[in-house]
Amino acid sequence: MKLADTNHNGGAPAIDHDRLRDDILGKLRCSLATPNRNERLWLAFLGTLILAGAGAYIWQCTYGLQVTGMREYVFWGVYMTNFVFFIGVSHAGTLISAILRVTGAEWRRSITRMAEAITVFALMIGAPMVIIDMGRPDRVLNVIIHGRMNSPILWDVCSICTYMSGSLLYLYVAMIPDFALLAPRAPMWERRTLRQRLFQVLSLGYRDTPEQRRLLEKALATMAVIIIPVAISVHTVVSWIFGMTLRPGWHSTIFGPYFVIGAIFSGTAGIITAMVVFRKVYHLENFLTERQFKNLGRLMLALNLLYIYFTLAEYLTAWYGAEESDHRLLNLLMGHSPYGVAFWTWASLCLFLPALIVMLPLKESLIPRLLVASIIINIGMWVKRYLIIVPTLMTPYIAPEAAGVTPSYMPTWVEWTVTLGGLATFLMLFTLFAKFFPIISVWETVEGVAELGAKNIGVDLDRPLHPPPRRLDSRRRFAMPAAVAILFLVGLAFGTTAFGAATNEKPVVAASAARVEIAVASRDTDEGPQLAATVRLSGQPLAGAEVEFFVRRALGRLSLGTQATGADGVAMIPSPSDLPGRNGGELEVIAEIKSPAAHATQAGEATIKAGQPAAITADPFPRALWSPHAPLGLVFTFVLLLGIVWSTYSFVIVQLIRIRKAGNP
Amino acid sequence: MNETRREFVGGALIACGALGAGLGASRLIRKLKKPESPPTTLVAALTAKGELVRVPAETATVHAHPAPAVGEAARQGVPGRKWVMVIDLAKCSGCANCTIACNKMHATSPDRHWIRVFRMQDSAHTAPYWFPKPCFHCDNPPCTKVCPVGATFKRQDGIVLIDNERCIGCRFCMAACPYSTRYFNWARPDNTVHAGKTYSPETGVPRRIGTVEKCDFCPEMASQGILPACVTSCDMAAIYFGDENEDAVSNSEETVRLSRLLEQRAAYRYLAELGTEPRVYYLPPKNREFPAPSLAPKAKSSTPIAPDHASHVHQKATT
Repeated sequence: MKLADTNHNGGAPAIDHDRLRDDILGKLRCSLATPNRNERLWLAFLGTLILAGAGAYIWQCTYGLQVTGMREYVFWGVYMTNFVFFIGVSHAGTLISAILRVTGAEWRRSITRMAEAITVFALMIGAPMVIIDMGRPDRVLNVIIHGRMNSPILWDVCSICTYMSGSLLYLYVAMIPDFALLAPRAPMWERRTLRQRLFQVLSLGYRDTPEQRRLLEKALATMAVIIIPVAISVHTVVSWIFGMTLRPGWHSTIFGPYFVIGAIFSGTAGIITAMVVFRKVYHLENFLTERQFKNLGRLMLALNLLYIYFTLAEYLTAWYGAEESDHRLLNLLMGHSPYGVAFWTWASLCLFLPALIVMLPLKESLIPRLLVASIIINIGMWVKRYLIIVPTLMTPYIAPEAAGVTPSYMPTWVEWTVTLGGLATFLMLFTLFAKFFPIISVWETVEGVAELGAKNIGVDLDRPLHPPPRRLDSRRRFAMPAAVAILFLVGLAFGTTAFGAATNEKPVVAASAARVEIAVASRDTDEGPQLAATVRLSGQPLAGAEVEFFVRRALGRLSLGTQATGADGVAMIPSPSDLPGRNGGELEVIAEIKSPAAHATQAGEATIKAGQPAAITADPFPRALWSPHAPLGLVFTFVLLLGIVWSTYSFVIVQLIRIRKAGNP
Repeated sequence: MNETRREFVGGALIACGALGAGLGASRLIRKLKKPESPPTTLVAALTAKGELVRVPAETATVHAHPAPAVGEAARQGVPGRKWVMVIDLAKCSGCANCTIACNKMHATSPDRHWIRVFRMQDSAHTAPYWFPKPCFHCDNPPCTKVCPVGATFKRQDGIVLIDNERCIGCRFCMAACPYSTRYFNWARPDNTVHAGKTYSPETGVPRRIGTVEKCDFCPEMASQGILPACVTSCDMAAIYFGDENEDAVSNSEETVRLSRLLEQRAAYRYLAELGTEPRVYYLPPKNREFPAPSLAPKAKSSTPIAPDHASHVHQKATT
C-alpha cells in the first residue's frame, strides 16, 4: 500500500499513515475476528428463526394465504406493515451517509459504512415482503412481462430496484479503498483466504494514486447526490400504494412527505440502535464517541418533532373536516376500540416519550437514553404502519356492517413467524457483514485523523479497549452460511379438458294455430314516418287484430306500443326515430299479434332504417390511467426520471472503470 | 419452465380425473332429471334471439351455457356494446334472491357475494332501504388503474374483468375499489363443477388460488342475449340490464328505454363523486313497493346486527 507515499501533502505534519491504519485495524479486530462463542450462539439463534420463517412461508405457499389472518375486508396486514417498515429503516443509509457527506459533516466518517449497510439489508428484507404478501408469488415475473406503467406498484418496483442498485453501488464505491487496504494486510491474514482474494478483485487495483483518488471522490460525490432524491422517491412511492387509492385515511396529499419523514425518523432510530449495539459488542468506543451520538440524537429529535407535526396535520384536518368516511375511520382508530387503545398508546409511548427521553437534560446517560428511545421508536413505527393499514381497510365507504359483517383481523402464527424470520435475516446479514467487512470506513477515518485530527472527526483513538485483545493470527476462515433460498410455490394446475357434457337440443316451439302473414315496413305519412304492419290471413287483410310493435334489443324486445289493424289489415305506429339502431340506424322491428287469441304470438319481422345511427366510440382504449396505454405525460416523466438516475449510475460506473484502468498501467 | 412442466403434469392428472367426474356427473344429472320432469311440463325460456318460447322442462335443463370468449377476444369485449345496469331500489325487498342465484350460477363459495344486499340508512331520520350492490364496472375504474400486470382490465363493452391466469394476487385492485366489490381466493377453490372447462376471464372459472374475482356482468351470456342470473332471479324485477348504445334495458319482465327510465326516476350513481363513473344506476326508493327494512340482511357467514347497532350505519345516496 502506498497510502502514505501518495497522499502526503507537502506542508502537513508528517503522520505515519501506515501506523495509523494498523492502529485503526487493530481497534476493529473484535468485529473482524472469527466469531466467538456468543456470536456463534447469536448466529445460530438467528439461523433458527430464519429457518422457522422459511418453514412458515413454505407452509403458506402450500396452503395459500388462507393460513394468514387476512380475509375479505382486511386483505393487507402484517406483511404490508413489514414492507413499509423495512423500506423505512432503509432510509438510514441515505440520510446519514449521503446527506452528511454532501454537507461535509466530518463526524460522519465512522458511521457511514454502517448506515449504508443498513440500507442495503433493510431493502433486501423489505422488498421481498411484498412477494410474500402476494397470492401468486410464482407469477412475480408478470410484473416485468405484463408491467403497466400506470400502476404505483410498477413505480415501486422501479424505484426500489433503482434504490437497491444505487445503494449497493454507493456502499461499494465507498469500500473500494478499504478493499485495497485489507487485501494485502499480512498481519490480518496469514494465508491468502477466500476473503483476501475477493477483496483483491473488489479493490479494482486501487492504489490510491492521485488520479484514482480524484476519480473515487468524483464517483462518491456523484452517488451521494443522486441517492438522496432516489431515496425520497422510494418512500414517496411506497406511500402512494396507499395514497393513490380512494380510501379514507390513505387518500391524502401529505402521504408522500409523511412517509418520507417517518422513514428517515425510523431509519435514524435504526442506525442509533445498531451503533449502540455494535459499539458495545465489537468495542468500537474509539470510533463511535459521544460526538456521533449527540449529533444523531439531535437529528432524531428533530425528526421526531417533525413526525409529531405531520401526524397532527394529518389527523386534525380529517377530524375537523369530519367527512362521513373520515369520521368512521377516526372513530375506529381513535375511539373506543382496540385500535383506539393502540393508537393512543403509540402516540404517548412511541411518539412523545422518545422526544422527552432525548430531551432530558442528563449528561451522563446519553447513550443508554438514545438506545431506549430508538428501540421504542422502532417498535412504534411498526405499530404506526399497522395502524395506517388495518383500520382503513375496516372502514370502506360502504360499511360492511350494513351487510351484517364486522371485519376483523388477527395475524396468525404464520405471519408472525415469517415476520420474525425476516427480522432475523436482516440481523444475520448485518452481523455477517460486520464480520466480513470493516464496519467502520477505515480509509475515511485514516484520512480524517490525518487531515483534521481525531478530535475533529469525533474519533478517540487513545481510549483503551476494555477487553484484552485476542490474538488474531489464529484466525480461521469461516464459511458463509448458506443463503436462504426463497421458495416459490408452483401454482395449482387445473384440468382443462375440452369435455362438453351438454347436448344442444333444439327448443321445441309450441305448436301454432293457422298462420297469418305479417309484413312490416316503414311508411311515410303526413304525421311523419310510421312503422306499418300488414296482417293477412289466407291472403285477405285481417282487420281488428291487435298488433304490438317491438324493436329487438340485445337482451329483450323493447315495446313501442300496440295498435289494431284497420280494414286494410294495416296497423301503424310512429317510427322511433330517436332510438339508436345499427350503423345506418337500422332497427329490427317485430310486429306480434296480441289478439285474436287464435293468432297470438305470431309475428313478422323486418329490418327498417327507422332509428338513429349507432354511437361510434372513436377509440375504445384511449390513453388513460385505466386503459392499457399510459398517458403520455406519465410515460415521459417515468422515462425522464429513470433516465436521469440510471445515466448518473452509468457515469459512476465509468469512473470505476477508469479507476481500474489507472490501477493497471 | 419448471412451472410449466409441473402445471402440465398436474393439469393432466386433474384433467383426467375431471374428465371422468364430469362424464359421470352429467350422466347422473340426466338420469336423475328424466323421471322428475314429465315431458308435458313446459317452461318459459328466452332464446338467443330474445324470443320467449315454451320448451319442455327436460330440454331446458340441459341447455348449453354460452361459450365464453377466450384470449385477446375476452380482453377486447363486444364491439358496439356498452352494458349497463339499473337497480330500482323502490322494488327491492331485500330477499337476496339475486345473491343466491348469482352464487349458484357462478358456483362461488358461500362466503362471497358478487352481488350483495346492504341495508342502507342515509341518516337517523331517513328511512332505511335495501341496496343490492354488484360490481359497478366503472368507466373510470380505479381498480384497472392500479393493476401492475393488466390482469384486471376494462373492455370496450364497458365490462371490467379479471384474468386469473395473469393475476399476481397483490390485492391492490381490492384496495383501490372504493365499493369493496372484489373477493380473493384465499384457499384453493373447489373447481369440481368447473371440471373440463377452458378458462376464460368472461366466466372466471376454473378458479385459481391466490387471485381476485368479482361480479363480471355475465358477459358470455349478455353477448348471447341472455340476462344475468341476478336479473332473471329477481321476482320484483328490480334489476335491469342492457346495452346503453341501444338505449334499452331489460328486467325479468320487460324491456324499457334506458334514457326515459333514468330521467323519469331521477336515477343516481352510488358515490359518483369519487369520479369513478359507475355503469350501475340506482333508482331512488320512492313510492316503495315493499316496507322499509328494519334489520340488517342475514349474511350467511355472520350474525345479523341489532337494529340499534345498525342505526349508525350511514351511507350517502347522492343524486
